[in-house]
Amino acid sequence: MTSLNVNRITTAARNVTATVAGAIPTVTINGERANKIITWIGKNISSPENRLILGVTALMSQPFIDLHNRKVDEETRKVSAARTVAKIIAGTLTGVLVRKGCIKAIDAFSMLPSQITSKTKWPWLRTLFTPDSAISGVLTDLTHHKNALGTIISLFVMTITNFAIDAPLTKFLTNKFVDKIKEKDAIKAEEAKLKQTTQQIIAQQKPQEVKEVARG
Amino acid sequence: MANFLKPFVNWVAKNYGDNIGKMLIHTGVIGWILSSAAQVVAIMINDKIPKKQKMYMIPQEIADAGVNIISFYLITQTFKGLGSKLVDTGRWLSGPVRKFLLDNNIQNVGKKGFDVLTQGHLTPEMMTKFKDFRSGMDVIFTTIGTVLSCNIVTPIVRNEIAANRQKKSIKTMEEPYNVVSNQSIFTQNPYMKRPTMDSFTGNSYARTSVYPNSSSLKI
Repeated sequence: MTSLNVNRITTAARNVTATVAGAIPTVTINGERANKIITWIGKNISSPENRLILGVTALMSQPFIDLHNRKVDEETRKVSAARTVAKIIAGTLTGVLVRKGCIKAIDAFSMLPSQITSKTKWPWLRTLFTPDSAISGVLTDLTHHKNALGTIISLFVMTITNFAIDAPLTKFLTNKFVDKIKEKDAIKAEEAKLKQTTQQIIAQQKPQEVKEVARG
Repeated sequence: MANFLKPFVNWVAKNYGDNIGKMLIHTGVIGWILSSAAQVVAIMINDKIPKKQKMYMIPQEIADAGVNIISFYLITQTFKGLGSKLVDTGRWLSGPVRKFLLDNNIQNVGKKGFDVLTQGHLTPEMMTKFKDFRSGMDVIFTTIGTVLSCNIVTPIVRNEIAANRQKKSIKTMEEPYNVVSNQSIFTQNPYMKRPTMDSFTGNSYARTSVYPNSSSLKI
């Protein structure tokens, strides 16, 4: 049942892709700088950077989506946006750091046999995550392999940090933001009250002034 | 230890060693699944939530996760597929590779069914340039898909579902008070206007949950 659904989704995605690809014009990227940037992206952007991009763009879009959700009242909108911002900050911070850390850890134990010297500490552990294809010399660049393995390991680490760091940090930041919102709302309400009182005093004083002018 | 890990390590190298976009999508989906599973486990092991409420909250959590995962996979996979198709067929190419194909009079470049890797007769140098370009475009398209899915589509869909749920909860929360005030209806049929288990647990969840829509807590 599940595999059937996945197949349906994949087929739908392929059909959309084929139709759209057919309608897109031919493009040639001639600029040397543009090609260098594309190559750099392919070599250097992996899951931590992807998570960071996701977090930054989330901060630019999701709070506004929450603030413009007309189906809920204003207070819910504000709290929801505050929680979204808190969740993005906590999630991005943990996500990027854990991914980076796991990739770094995998990197230390995915050495090529040629990289191991007599000075290398724990040489028997250094090829723990090195695939057979790299040991036999077929695979020479392990960058993507290390990123992939590090990311997979980080997902399991993040199942724990999700509770240990993300959730409490989200709660803490949400409370901070909500307090700020309430503080601002209270100041606004006080200002409005003051304005109303001033207007009432002015309104009361005006007839007296008119009377005084009439007497004079 | 090493022998135990090797099959998994080899499998990762074989499947993701040169396909960063595929890795980003698959780990993204696993991320959503683990994140949602963690939320479900959190409900299951929470002693403060009665068993009857858990029976309602767990399927609800799974349904939320389903929306997130399907939206993520469908959109990101579509974008990644589009990027790969454009580059593989030669519709989008870097200047040097396009020039090489033109100079060597390779036909049908950019047409449906054409494959630069197998039909382009690329030299090792051109092959490296093409693969670098392909890898970069793969990451760009996958990232665009991820951003669109996680930051635009999913929050809108999730808000829509949450708003409907909130409306339903508020409506059913008001119902018991009407029943108490109208004794005649209550005595005629004691079960007539009592809240259903679903609405009751929904209300409790809406009131007691620290993290409503918690499956959106992406890892």
